[in-house]
Amino acid sequence: MTADTLSAILVSGIVLGSVYALMASGLSLVWSTLGIFNFAHGVLMTLGAYVAWTVSDAAGLGLWIGAGVAVGIAAVIGVGILMERLVVRPFYDNRDILLITVMTTLAVMIFLEKGIQLVWGARLKQLTPIAPGQVDFLGTTISAQEMLIIVVAPILMVALGAFLRWSRIGRGIRAVGQNANAARLIGIGVSQLFVVTFALSAALAALTGILLGSVRLLTPTFGAEPLVKALIIVIFGGLGSLGGTVAASYLIGILEAALIFVIGIYWAPSMIFVLLIVVLLFRPQGLFGKVVR
Amino acid sequence: MSDAENALDVVELRAGYDAYDVLQGISIHVGPGERVGLFGPNGHGKTTLLNAISKIIPQRRGEVRFLGEPLGGLSAKQIVERGLIHVAQANHLFPDMEILETLELAAYTRRAHSQRAKNLDYVLKLFPRLAERRRQQCKTLSGGERQMLSIGVGLMCAPRMLMLDEPTLGLSPKLKDELAAAIDEISSQRMPLLLVEQDITFVLSLVDRMYLVDHGEIIREIDRRSGVDHDEIMDMYFGGHEAR
Repeated sequence: MTADTLSAILVSGIVLGSVYALMASGLSLVWSTLGIFNFAHGVLMTLGAYVAWTVSDAAGLGLWIGAGVAVGIAAVIGVGILMERLVVRPFYDNRDILLITVMTTLAVMIFLEKGIQLVWGARLKQLTPIAPGQVDFLGTTISAQEMLIIVVAPILMVALGAFLRWSRIGRGIRAVGQNANAARLIGIGVSQLFVVTFALSAALAALTGILLGSVRLLTPTFGAEPLVKALIIVIFGGLGSLGGTVAASYLIGILEAALIFVIGIYWAPSMIFVLLIVVLLFRPQGLFGKVVR
Repeated sequence: MSDAENALDVVELRAGYDAYDVLQGISIHVGPGERVGLFGPNGHGKTTLLNAISKIIPQRRGEVRFLGEPLGGLSAKQIVERGLIHVAQANHLFPDMEILETLELAAYTRRAHSQRAKNLDYVLKLFPRLAERRRQQCKTLSGGERQMLSIGVGLMCAPRMLMLDEPTLGLSPKLKDELAAAIDEISSQRMPLLLVEQDITFVLSLVDRMYLVDHGEIIREIDRRSGVDHDEIMDMYFGGHEAR
């Protein structure tokens, strides 16, 4: 294996890891705050990309890509908030909320996928890159858009971490996740913060979709594969830990790139599941999770 | 004394879980600057009463007024904003947060936030042990430290009245004395206090007046100055038998 190959694997792994970090952090945030998995997280990503396409593509409104980014994220935040209100909030007091919301969010996923197909059709689309051209990174040539993903993801992850660590709302969100009743007793509006969490997570999904929408091709199921990866990563990294989720994102990204090189793109995804099972056999709490929650 | 002057009025309150009303129309009041105890065996509605007052569970019937204002239409958050603070029993707070972070967070409402520095100073002076451990996570605290932090968190909320639910649950006599001194100091500023306790000596050392609760109802009200003693109260509950 030459240095060039190694560099290519590493760079492609970092790109994948960055995409996964953006996706999985939103999923992880919702899990640690509300204790549910949002299976519609992937389709929110798809929706963001399609809305951005409509606003910015010549076949749509033909506006500047920046407008597409803004409208795409705003629209998905709206859908995220609506989703929380309609299919999550009614079950907050139900002790089976985790299972119920698996069903309700899966239902939203299917509904939105079909809706996207109906509105935009099944024909492949691609977003205009925010950053056009190509750049050289660690000796490998990648598109400037991929470079943008590599740069944006860590910045956003650090910003998200700082927000949760130090801001009043961010601390409130962590408090709600750790002990909702104790949070209520100090005057935290628990259901308001649930909405904020859902909105934040939806915004991250939309942004991922928009960033990736000029690298990959848009289809109504564009977000399905990233969702599955993000689910694996959240479990793999140790449920509820943002740091663990981000670390696991890059680990899985690089591993996936290496597996694709070694055994090919056909078997690489299933090998990652095998790896997840092996890790969970020895560390049921995930790689970076704590033993007791 | 007119009702409007009272810190807290609970009138014929009914509340409970599922189909069952644990509180069968309970009425109590706490006067301005008054320290009131709530004593009774486990499972007789003391905690339910505090939960209903602070809207952790809904109030089904009756009325609760704080400083004369009915709390019926308010949320748990709005009740905290008004300064009626409930320090819950055996509260594990936020396991992964540090002590200092927890105290800062507790000054969450606008009003509490504006008094944050002053209140933090007060709490750390009142419980020097919390100051020593300010970087420690809540889950690593001992029972006594956690109780101190719970009360500290209550104080950070800028209370106009405190409701403490069994602050000495499971603590050693030495720690109980420490907490009693702290609670005494807090209420010496004429902070109205509603104290739920099972340790009769502890309640009697701190309150002006006390309610005896039995099966979700007040069965007796005792003024401490009238000098009812420990044995008599135990007799009332346990019919003269040895009370553990």
